[in-house]
Amino acid sequence: MPPRLRLVIAEDAAIMRDGLTQTLTRRGLDVVAAAGDAESLHRAVTAHDPDVAIIDVRMPPTFTDEGLRAALSVRRDHPGVGVLVFSQYIETRSAAELFAGASGGVGYLLKDRVAYVSDFIDAIAQVAGGGTVLDPEVVRHLLSAGRRADALAVLSPREREVLSLLAEGRSNIAIAGAFTISPRVVEKHVASIFAKLGLAPSDNDNRRVLAAIKYLES
Amino acid sequence: MSGWLRGHPWHADGLLAAALLAFSLPQVAAGAPPGAWIGAAVMQANFAVVTVVLAGTVIARRRYPVAAFAVAALIGAAQIAFGVQPGVPGPFFPLQPTNADVAILVLLYTLAAYRPRPVSIAGLMLCLVGSAVAIGRWSPAHHAYAGGAVLVAAAGMGGVTVAAWVLGDSVAHRYRRAYYEVVEARAAQMEAERDAQARIAAAAERARELQEKRARAVDHSAARLRQIERDLHDGAQVRLAALAMVLGEVRENLEHADDGADGDGHLRKLMGAAHRNAVETLAELRDLARGIHPPALDRGLAPALGSLADTVSIPVEVTVRAGERPSAAIETIAYFCAAELLANITKHSGATRAAICISDGDGRMLMRVTDNGGGGARLAPGGGLEGLRERVQTVDGHLGIDSPAGGPTAITISLPGHA
Repeated sequence: MPPRLRLVIAEDAAIMRDGLTQTLTRRGLDVVAAAGDAESLHRAVTAHDPDVAIIDVRMPPTFTDEGLRAALSVRRDHPGVGVLVFSQYIETRSAAELFAGASGGVGYLLKDRVAYVSDFIDAIAQVAGGGTVLDPEVVRHLLSAGRRADALAVLSPREREVLSLLAEGRSNIAIAGAFTISPRVVEKHVASIFAKLGLAPSDNDNRRVLAAIKYLES
Repeated sequence: MSGWLRGHPWHADGLLAAALLAFSLPQVAAGAPPGAWIGAAVMQANFAVVTVVLAGTVIARRRYPVAAFAVAALIGAAQIAFGVQPGVPGPFFPLQPTNADVAILVLLYTLAAYRPRPVSIAGLMLCLVGSAVAIGRWSPAHHAYAGGAVLVAAAGMGGVTVAAWVLGDSVAHRYRRAYYEVVEARAAQMEAERDAQARIAAAAERARELQEKRARAVDHSAARLRQIERDLHDGAQVRLAALAMVLGEVRENLEHADDGADGDGHLRKLMGAAHRNAVETLAELRDLARGIHPPALDRGLAPALGSLADTVSIPVEVTVRAGERPSAAIETIAYFCAAELLANITKHSGATRAAICISDGDGRMLMRVTDNGGGGARLAPGGGLEGLRERVQTVDGHLGIDSPAGGPTAITISLPGHA
């Protein structure tokens, strides 16, 4: 059994903070601290050095993007801590800002995802393992926007579909399940995507992250 | 003729003086009266000088009414003092009355016409006294019908004198009335102008007041909408998300539980429906809240428009070149206009590319939304563009359309920095 993931939660709404803490604890995760604002988040991260900090975008005092700023500074000051930002609304620009220059351990999810507890916990585990997680909603937005087509024109339609799931943080097996194709075919697609996007062969996970970021920034 | 005379007083008075000279000329030629000690030549010279001086007073009468009258009156008095009486040896230096003495009447008339009444009445009195003395002096006391002749002379001279005064006075009255009418009309006009100016100032003040009230109302409603969105975010949305999370957890637990707990899967179905409903309600609530106030706007127009552009199915280039940030209400209007225009573009224009450019111009914010579609966009009653135009007009904004058939289309929206 892997060691329990240690989490810090930053969420200003008490009902959500407590609900998350209880649910995640029941599911075997270790919530070491729950903060209500950016400052106590920093203190908690410094004190506990968690695997992942789960951060709400909107926090006091102005309720605009304090959470995003806090996430960026946690990422800067504590590179080993995964950062999972969740937001009531999808703002592609916020997501892009969060992912810019990141090499992994970053996630951006719509708040609604907490309703799918297992998926949410999977996402936390992905971020904790240095992966990237991008909300399917963001992916859908970006896919529908025409400029993706320009930047990722080198990819075949199926490769683009695979890339969008890859950006969400899905594994090869999960992607194979989603398209009802064999994992071997997925592997071929993934390898082709890496080659076409010019990602040098290195550790496989890192290339997945880079592909996702490229996808987001394209 | 009378108009010309009024327009050229010096010419008119010159003519009058010339007539006076002509009238007196026979007397000058007639020479010395009987009983005079001196010779005819001296007498004629006297006549000539007096006549010319009197003519001069007539010419000067309008400019110097009192002085001219005084000079003429002095001459009259001198004539009474030094005139030669019939049958009585004349003085050493005789000064006979002349026909030119009519000038005195003209000057009395002038005095009455151009000077205040007390002055002209004094002149009238002087003339009447002079007439009486003259009559007394020239009436032959020994004449049998002296009494009757004196009466006739007194009535004649007095009548003519009073008539001259009355004539002048009536002219003065007419002038005064006309003058008062002009003054009154001018006063009324000035009052009307002052009233009009006061009304304009009041209207301007009212307009400014209304503008301030409108700005307050617009800002207030923008702040209110933002607050409603926040209340939703911090209240209903959070509670619903927490509820959905619990439902999701229960649902997963049920799925993993052995069938003994839920034999026919009834509970699972109910739970699945409840969970789905909660999730869908959450999504609807999010769309509703975003329609009330897009929270991305709190970070500024540029990131909000950028995120908006990412939701559109064609590439949209967003450029924001603006200095000072406009008020929140104005940013909100600009954002919703951009959203509506982008929706129109993807729905109707067939464009493959669009751009939003925001710039500063003269304290106003200019937003230009362009696309390479088929063009032909125009204002139509009840149409989307008409709705946008009405919306920007509520804050004195303008919407311009340049969309020839075949494209491209450029919609320009100009908004004040503050409502």
